[in-house]
Amino acid sequence: MSDDDARLAAFFAASEPPARDLAFSAGVMEAVARARFRREMARLALFSLVGGVVLWAVWPSLAPVLVQVGGGLAPAGAALVVAAAVLLLADGRAMSALGLRS
Amino acid sequence: MNPAALDATLVRAAQGGSEEAFARLVDRHQQALRAFLRRACGNRALADDLAQEALLTAWSRIDRLDEAANVRAWLCGIGYNKCRTELRSGRRVRQREADYQSSDHRSTGVAPEDRLALEQAMAVLPLEQRAVVALCLAAEFSHADAAEALGLPLGTVKSHVTRGRARLMEALGVRDER
Repeated sequence: MSDDDARLAAFFAASEPPARDLAFSAGVMEAVARARFRREMARLALFSLVGGVVLWAVWPSLAPVLVQVGGGLAPAGAALVVAAAVLLLADGRAMSALGLRS
Repeated sequence: MNPAALDATLVRAAQGGSEEAFARLVDRHQQALRAFLRRACGNRALADDLAQEALLTAWSRIDRLDEAANVRAWLCGIGYNKCRTELRSGRRVRQREADYQSSDHRSTGVAPEDRLALEQAMAVLPLEQRAVVALCLAAEFSHADAAEALGLPLGTVKSHVTRGRARLMEALGVRDER
């Protein structure tokens, strides 16, 4: 390498960032996590919107059926809601006990 | 495992949704990407902002990347496009000017007169030529890799390298005979 090339190389080396920069890498991964969260929220909002529109569209034909079977299903529905709440509050302990979760 | 094979493994894992693999890609290439952008846009703070944005874009487009592709060249290509857009708009360049003025110029074995002359010479090169110089002369990219990263014909890259080097040597008071 000639002396002039060495001067040029030294100039370029002066603008070299560190090989490892934890603050920079953490900043990038934080931005990635934020973007992933926003993307997930947008997906959920879209699903909710589509679900709402579908329900609105089928409601006139669904409502009479629900009224007809609602009386009979109400106790079973209530029992399911209570069971789901217990499972959530137990933070998975019931599922672990049943061997459904390690 | 050689660097290209490791990159391919990490890209595959990141495409499968592994953030840990993507974080390792960031660790492996942040230095090269930031160095390239610092030289291409001549503003450290802005370059670091653009590098972060480029990596974020890379994360959202990682599915489109071929496993065998040169990850570093791909990242520099994304960074270059962001730099070009930014320098055209000039919005953050002005905002970041004050930060740059106050940034430290550590003693790195470069004579102050060389640094000033080369900084001025780099600043007056057209962006495309500066980017080619940053990749081929400073980061030792092959001409083909630089052409792929910047989306330029190979002949254009070669001519930018020759002319850019001559301009920098001229700034150092040397007549480039290459």
